[in-house]
Amino acid sequence: MSLAIALSGCNSDNTTSTGSAETASGKKKIAVIVSTLNNPWFVVLAESAKEHAMRLGYNAVVFDSQNDPANETAHFDNVIASGYSAVLFNPTDADGSVANVRRAKQAGIPVFCMDREINATDAAVSQILSDNYSGCVAIGQCFVKEVGESGEYVELLGLVGDNNTRNRSDGFHSVVDRYPHLKMVAQQSADFDRAKALDAMETILQANPDIKAVFCGNDAMAMGAYQALLAAGKNGQVKIFGFDGADDVVDLIKEGKIVATGMQFPKLMAQTAAEYADKYLNGEQDLQQKVPVAVELVHQGNAEEYVTVDQEDSE
Amino acid sequence: MKLGKQRWVVRSTIVAACAAWLYYWPLFHIIPLKQADKESAAKGASFEPVAFVEGFWEGQLLPGQTRAVDAADLIAAISKDRNAAQRTYGRKVGLSSAYFYFISGTGRVVEIDKHSIGLAISESATDAEVLLETGPIFGNAVRDATGLLDVNNFATSQDFNAVSSEINRRIEADVLPKLREQATVGKTVRFLGCVQIIDEDTDLLPLRAVPIVGEVL
Repeated sequence: MSLAIALSGCNSDNTTSTGSAETASGKKKIAVIVSTLNNPWFVVLAESAKEHAMRLGYNAVVFDSQNDPANETAHFDNVIASGYSAVLFNPTDADGSVANVRRAKQAGIPVFCMDREINATDAAVSQILSDNYSGCVAIGQCFVKEVGESGEYVELLGLVGDNNTRNRSDGFHSVVDRYPHLKMVAQQSADFDRAKALDAMETILQANPDIKAVFCGNDAMAMGAYQALLAAGKNGQVKIFGFDGADDVVDLIKEGKIVATGMQFPKLMAQTAAEYADKYLNGEQDLQQKVPVAVELVHQGNAEEYVTVDQEDSE
Repeated sequence: MKLGKQRWVVRSTIVAACAAWLYYWPLFHIIPLKQADKESAAKGASFEPVAFVEGFWEGQLLPGQTRAVDAADLIAAISKDRNAAQRTYGRKVGLSSAYFYFISGTGRVVEIDKHSIGLAISESATDAEVLLETGPIFGNAVRDATGLLDVNNFATSQDFNAVSSEINRRIEADVLPKLREQATVGKTVRFLGCVQIIDEDTDLLPLRAVPIVGEVL
């Protein structure tokens, strides 16, 4: 029926360890290098990758780049020097992370990207990526249906250097920009961060009190926008749209307080990356460079199906 | 004297090591200007979706219509067993529960509304079995249904997505106006189109197709 249902058996209850690689007897080691563990969405991604690598018979260790490319580079140095067999990788920057992947490749360590793309097709073995663009086309269509073909709205963007930010915004605007009477009165980056989104929304509301809707590039920012609108007494006036499928947002969709979000599947991406790494290490070379993973529209009519399906929070 | 000779040997060794180091890892490379210009242009070259789609449309998409399944055959297959129809004629992209059909055929116009033209495919049908979308066109149905385009052949997903936008724009500009203008209830339309199935309960009958060709006969 849907990816959501197909994944309902997945869970993630193992703990995350950090630091240098263990030297386990006989087992190959897989490194999970993740952009940040300060956001629960990425914790789910990293822990799922680790869990699936371990199920496939590897020792797995998680490295947290703390959204800092310098940390990421240091992790790759460590991984290359410590004899890891493969890297399951969530990059900090689409361009900046390419060099790290190339160094690993030169050292004979295959890299498999999860969720975030790098701007090279000859560096990583495979990239398992959310189809952000298509997901946001669906959100854009829902937006026009719910908000109407005219009115003022606001967009909160994620991290500017991340391709996901651009793809989400492009998908949304590929629909909404076709309606000339829908006017975007503010577009601001809040870095996928709830607190920053709250601040940004408060400021935007002062200058634009008549907006009808806000599209947020992730659910953390949707929650921040919701808080700001609630505090301003405008939560009934302004329709909120998010992206990710975080539990708290899905709950608010059920209650009719947020209109829609796009459900991503971090566990599926992590599992696929781990399986691809295992296949590659066992000699299978014919793996797709990019594997898009569908994003599903969650609205009040189907939100019940998506409760605690695949993830705990938002990117 | 012996000490001086040793010093000379040490110095020579250091110089030789430095020379070897610089040979393998030079501080700078000298390359011809023409080559530098080429490399710089290649690095800064941006993808041109309009030019790409122009070539794709004439060179691959229209010639590729032999890949399309006949709409009458597909409708019959779906009514018999929709899972088997999907396995035989459908196309999935990546990991998704949604899938696509690339279809062609002729149909009789039975309804026209603001955003679609309904066609009956079989002679006995009175209701629309295929809805040709008449705009605005969104999404990736045409990009992803035909199997002619592969994300792995594009440098970034942004380029691949830009192809979708341009295909949709071109359909709206070149295909839909004439179709909307000429189609009236009772006329026959020859079509080539792409269908995305997200919800099988609502999307299989009628099939909503984005028309690549829509010719009123």
